[in-house]
Amino acid sequence: MPPTVANIDQDLADRLASIVGERRVLFRPSELLTYAADGLPQYHKQPGLAVFPGTRDEVVEVVRELARREVSFVPRGAGTGLSGGALADGVVLIGLNRLSRVISVDAENGLAVVEPGVVNVALSRAVAAYGLHYAPDPSSQAACTIGGNVAENAGGPHCLKYGVTTNHVVALTVVLPDGEVVSLGNANGEHEGYDLVGVFVGSEGCFGIALDITVRLSRNPEAIRTLLADFMSIDAAARAVSAIVATGIIPAALEMIDQATIRAVESSIYAAGYPTDAAAALLIELDGAAVGLETDVANVEALCKSNGARTVRIARDEIDRARLWQGRKKAFGAMGRISSHLVVQDAVVPRTKLPDVLAEVHAIAERHRLRVCNVFHAGDGNLHPNIAYDASDADETARVHVAMGEIMTACVNAGGTITGEHGVGLDKVPYMEMIFSADSLAAMCALREVFDPDRRANPGKVVPLHSCREWHAAPSARPAKAPARMPA
Amino acid sequence: MARSSIGTAREGPGADAGVTTVETDSVDALRDRVRDAADRRAALRVVGRGTWLDAGRAVAASESVSTRDLAGITEYVPGDLTLTARAGTTLEEIRLATAAHDQWLALDPYGGDDGTLGATISTGSAGPLLTSFGSPRDLMLGLEFVTGDGALVRGGGRVVKNVAGFDLTRLLTGSWGTLGVITEVTLRLHARPEADESIGVPLSADADVARVRELLRRLPFTPYACEIVNAHLARRLISIDGAAAIIRLGGNRLAVTAQRAAFAALGSVIEIQPDVWQRLRASEGMGALVFRLSTRPSEIARAWTAAQAIAVDCPGTMIDATPARGIVRCVVPGGANSVSSLRRLWAGESTMQRIGERLTPELWPACSPSAIADRISQGIKRTFDPHGVLNPGIFGESS
Repeated sequence: MPPTVANIDQDLADRLASIVGERRVLFRPSELLTYAADGLPQYHKQPGLAVFPGTRDEVVEVVRELARREVSFVPRGAGTGLSGGALADGVVLIGLNRLSRVISVDAENGLAVVEPGVVNVALSRAVAAYGLHYAPDPSSQAACTIGGNVAENAGGPHCLKYGVTTNHVVALTVVLPDGEVVSLGNANGEHEGYDLVGVFVGSEGCFGIALDITVRLSRNPEAIRTLLADFMSIDAAARAVSAIVATGIIPAALEMIDQATIRAVESSIYAAGYPTDAAAALLIELDGAAVGLETDVANVEALCKSNGARTVRIARDEIDRARLWQGRKKAFGAMGRISSHLVVQDAVVPRTKLPDVLAEVHAIAERHRLRVCNVFHAGDGNLHPNIAYDASDADETARVHVAMGEIMTACVNAGGTITGEHGVGLDKVPYMEMIFSADSLAAMCALREVFDPDRRANPGKVVPLHSCREWHAAPSARPAKAPARMPA
Repeated sequence: MARSSIGTAREGPGADAGVTTVETDSVDALRDRVRDAADRRAALRVVGRGTWLDAGRAVAASESVSTRDLAGITEYVPGDLTLTARAGTTLEEIRLATAAHDQWLALDPYGGDDGTLGATISTGSAGPLLTSFGSPRDLMLGLEFVTGDGALVRGGGRVVKNVAGFDLTRLLTGSWGTLGVITEVTLRLHARPEADESIGVPLSADADVARVRELLRRLPFTPYACEIVNAHLARRLISIDGAAAIIRLGGNRLAVTAQRAAFAALGSVIEIQPDVWQRLRASEGMGALVFRLSTRPSEIARAWTAAQAIAVDCPGTMIDATPARGIVRCVVPGGANSVSSLRRLWAGESTMQRIGERLTPELWPACSPSAIADRISQGIKRTFDPHGVLNPGIFGESS
């Protein structure tokens, strides 16, 4: 079936092939099937064409060609996203995974300049010799790219202490959707003016494509201690989380894994030795200077026990530590064994609301006769409820959709937000109006139009289309009220 | 990121004489006020408590709008370590409220704690704690603001992690009131550490600046703050002759003891009073010229040397470097001699980034060019303030 979007035709394919080479342009529907899904399997949107530039100049030339032809495009890193953000519905998909060079490392100032296709973990490996690493560590870090991390403002377990992507990006070179190349931020000192780097990070591919990214690297900790505490109730585990955070100790990571997840992990090849009869386990990591760390470890252990931990196990060595982490990082993969399909949410709630919200999530799942697993960043209240289901069962699928909506409502009602690190993408667009007013959404649309007046970059994502009304018409159309109060 | 003075008692009659100020105690009144000004195309100077009107470039406005009465903490759940407050709330109020729960807002802008949260966030001001806790942008979770045509917009949220929607919070933080009047902010708090101690290390020579930076790079921890002050400032703050490093350490007792020992590598460690930080933040006098030199941290010694050259020409100059961030802050006594010295020193090609905090009109162009002259910044300005009524000229843009 030929693509239906205007201006995507053989002529465009030929022209792009002249820029990037014939092998780097996919135009046949059978070839494009691979790119019809990202890390969230329930969406399928096939691009009209996919192009894979190999150099920065090629990216710019491709973007300019698309601008000339008024063709929309979607940038894509490794396609591991969990919000449908990199899906291209009939438009052009620009794959950036070939731009995988670490351009330079300034170890003395803890900075690296990388191309967008550098894989997250590859950057940490590239700078390991300097005793440095790149701190944001999404669970997909073995595959996901820094460019994709920038687009999504990606997080990860260690963001509790070290911050998310936006806290680690200092400068960017960006090609805007019209083909202009601009520099944002300042890698050589303070940045004056608007925080355009902060605005670009997390813009989900709607503001342009990052050609190079200057990131701040973190010093490897002198010592790391990893603990696994198991509890007979989720409530007790949640109370332990609050107690730890209240001490002033900031763990490098503080993750909760519930019983359903523990059992899925333990019956998979990723078995980590988690106790399968526990209601929940906390995976806690403390790092930093060696002196004083044991005091914090002892404190955390005592707090877990005083809040009802049955056992607290401390990783003996690096192998033991890696094993404990593997269970957490591969939990998604393990859950894939339970059913053919999986939905995952990413809401964040205030930490003190965790026990109530977790109880409500379980009640919702029970009401809809679904099995929910929870494995999440408890330290910052970032939930990841997963529901495994069979998509060929229409009734179950319908129940999953209703339950997901109810879970989101519960999180928002608790004062939370709809996404902590996965992004809005396509998946959470319908929820944006739950947390933002019409004016706030219109302001976001207006901001996007500064970067992309034609709305050709990642169309249909992040902000609901109907929110993008004429921004300035609305406020001034309101009737004037009484004059402002004057000072006495 | 700007790092500037907030809220010292330097309110002078000369600063914005003849400006009509309207204080608003409700968001609706503020919106009406901004909308009314926009309808009349009347430029507004956005003011917090008005204690810092002589900072930044001159604003071409005959009216102002103040958020000082839009004050108070609206939500504080200690267990969440987050706090939401209206823009006119002072840092002092936040300090007191959080201290009651053994928590704090790790933000110490130059000036003091009597400035407002709104002004601190609008100017993106940080102080010595920048070394460990980052800038306001790193502590901000969400905010609400009134745009230049009166729309009420919210970005971010009240939870510690949030990627819903485009990042209006970062955009507004440090935008100097040019995109909107901030009405409310939500910030991340920290729990107070078991130990929080301050030490000083007298430094023998200027070359020690590079040594301090090198030590910081090798240490297995980051001190809460580490500043190097020149002899003039050291005399005022800790009564010693000669330059010194002043360091703030935090953590559990064992860790802090080890941290103190690590700094002994620089020289003899002396005890200093914890109020040294308030006094450092409030050390500049009326009419001083204040600016920062900024480089990569590895170049800190070069920036320090450049600052020393200024001090030779302008006696009484106080210099305060943040080696971890490559920043050297200079407080030069005001007056015609200082102005002409700086003009002479800043003539010709600049090899060092300079960021003004408080300068005379003739020094601004020589110090830092407009920071929002690029196409994207201009587009953003037009989008959020279509009639150009909010703080026109404060970034040095032609308006």
